[in-house]
Amino acid sequence: MTIRLIKPDKINLEDRRFRFTFNPVEERFKYSVQVIGVLQPVIITYREGKPVLIDGWKRVEAARFCGLEQLLTLEIDNQATDAEVFFLAFFINYSRRPFSLAEKSLAVRKFHDFGLQPPDIIENVLPLLELPPEQKTVEIMLELSGLERWLEVIHRKDWKLGTAELLVSFPPEERHWLLQLVEKLTHSQQKEIIENFYSLKRRTGKSLKELAGEKEIGTVIGRLTAGELEAAGALLSVLRKFNSPTVWRLNQAISDRIRQLELPPEISLDYDRTLEKTGLKISLEASSTREFKEVLRCLSERLASPEWEEIFKLLHHVGD
Amino acid sequence: MTLQPIKKVWLDQKVEKAALTRRLLDRLPGVPVEQVAGLEPVKREFRFATDPVGESKQHLFITEQKAFIRPCPCTPGSVGCGYWTIDLDLNCPFDCSYCILQQYLNWQPLTVAVNRQKLRVELESFFQRKSSGIIRIGTGELADSLALDEMTENSIFLVESFRGQGRFWLELKSKSDYIRPLLTIKPAENVVLSWSLNPEGIIATEEKGTAGLMERLQAAAKAANHGYRVGFHFDPILHYPGWQDDYEGLVAMLFRVVPVEAIAWVSLGSLRFPSALLPLARRRFPKSQIYEQEFIRSAEGKYRYPRPVRLLLYNLLAEMLASYRVEDKIYLCMESAEVWKEFLEKIKRGRQKLAFPFSWLG
Repeated sequence: MTIRLIKPDKINLEDRRFRFTFNPVEERFKYSVQVIGVLQPVIITYREGKPVLIDGWKRVEAARFCGLEQLLTLEIDNQATDAEVFFLAFFINYSRRPFSLAEKSLAVRKFHDFGLQPPDIIENVLPLLELPPEQKTVEIMLELSGLERWLEVIHRKDWKLGTAELLVSFPPEERHWLLQLVEKLTHSQQKEIIENFYSLKRRTGKSLKELAGEKEIGTVIGRLTAGELEAAGALLSVLRKFNSPTVWRLNQAISDRIRQLELPPEISLDYDRTLEKTGLKISLEASSTREFKEVLRCLSERLASPEWEEIFKLLHHVGD
Repeated sequence: MTLQPIKKVWLDQKVEKAALTRRLLDRLPGVPVEQVAGLEPVKREFRFATDPVGESKQHLFITEQKAFIRPCPCTPGSVGCGYWTIDLDLNCPFDCSYCILQQYLNWQPLTVAVNRQKLRVELESFFQRKSSGIIRIGTGELADSLALDEMTENSIFLVESFRGQGRFWLELKSKSDYIRPLLTIKPAENVVLSWSLNPEGIIATEEKGTAGLMERLQAAAKAANHGYRVGFHFDPILHYPGWQDDYEGLVAMLFRVVPVEAIAWVSLGSLRFPSALLPLARRRFPKSQIYEQEFIRSAEGKYRYPRPVRLLLYNLLAEMLASYRVEDKIYLCMESAEVWKEFLEKIKRGRQKLAFPFSWLG
């Protein structure tokens, strides 16, 4: 290993063969470099006579941004194989922070491409990444790593393995369509939309294109792709209606009856939306005995409405 | 019934010299045997398989159990039935798409405990400790009670252990039709041979390797003729287009073949599964549609059909069964008090007999 100073712009940041992490350079870090420079050497090796970065991506980027003339480098012998160098890059980062699923997928991809056999990945790498040590995980990680620009979305939203497995079970063109659709949504919305499309697709045997062509789904997808992020809730509602018709229909009917009761704001009704419980919770709000009497009188008057009986009937409904 | 061949036997060195070990090995001539110090190296072998769960079903681990008897945990929020389980074998050579053991046993190979004498001692103490009431106990929770019986003959050992213990009812629950050893011995009054039932179409698509419906029913009829009581578990009941016709056909077939008076109990339970099973089962059974129905996530975290659908299944099945006068033998498995209450209100209407919630508990 040799320590030497080189110009930051000599390092080709496009050569990402040893990179599997995603974190961008923060403003605070750039400011710190501006004030005190980069004190810790970045780690490089040489390939075809050119320096290739192993570790220190943020430092190099910040050094360039701040216009530093020289950067301290620790040079790894260029006789080291790519696999050995990546092993080093992996362990330098391993102790720093837990990796996101996207980073884990890139790490698996690189170990794989640098010649580590799946049994070795299963035995030695997956346990370090806290992933289930089995063949299927390797397959999912390799598929996921091929998503290129989408990996950053998956990284930012901190996806879990289950969602990734569902995503890679779609054909490539559908994966991209789905990712485009959910890119800007929250992780839980992304997860639920993917799960619902997965289930709907399996149940109906239709492609995502065909499903998106259905009027109700197509309309909200149109709003979402036009940038109306609030349409995510509407899309989820439509998907739930398709995937959970009994519960959806009963909930709609109960909500309608509750609305028809036209209760004052001091009286509120609630019930278990999964319909496991058949009871209705009735809350009253009053700040004096007089108000309490008034609320009770109002409730008693409303009890004559036929909607009450219908609500209880719906809560006890049996059928599909 | 078509069992996959055992690829390899893993012999726990602790039981190398046990008499039952020898007998098991004699029954598996030509199968490679490797001695191991524990379970870990066996499970490690499955890591590299495309389908570790499927692979685990083709490996036999001969070992010992530290303790055999435990109360059935049921599920939080459900009405328990006071059942006890004996973990004599673990895992099952059958491959049902809905089976929670796929996930629950975490690649446990087919496991046979050969220290049955310890179980006998545990049972003797159990018989003495539980001084009142009827206790039901069975080996069918973490395994199929009869699937490996040709090798182990555990059934004979168990029946003989329970003989004369009138308050303790042993249940051997299965999807197999292999009851030959049980027909060679005198039946015991407190032994119930039971079968899980589903329509033939479901057996063909979702219950790989198991005996067909008629084979199970004929085995039950033989057991009844021999003098055993029999039980049936409609579990998991599946909800799909056309389910009602299929289950009507199944119930009619059941009572054509099996005498009503031999039936000790009939349980009803609808499909339920922990969320962790979902990705695994979808992966292992890509053609199965059972996971693509309408589910709710219940308070204990399991997926279930919505309550209105479950009650529909239970009510209609109970009506079908009631027409053969077995309504007083029906109970629900892993259901909430709310569903129990509604079910009982429906099923006892117009009838004198109360569908029993566990009358054996006294």
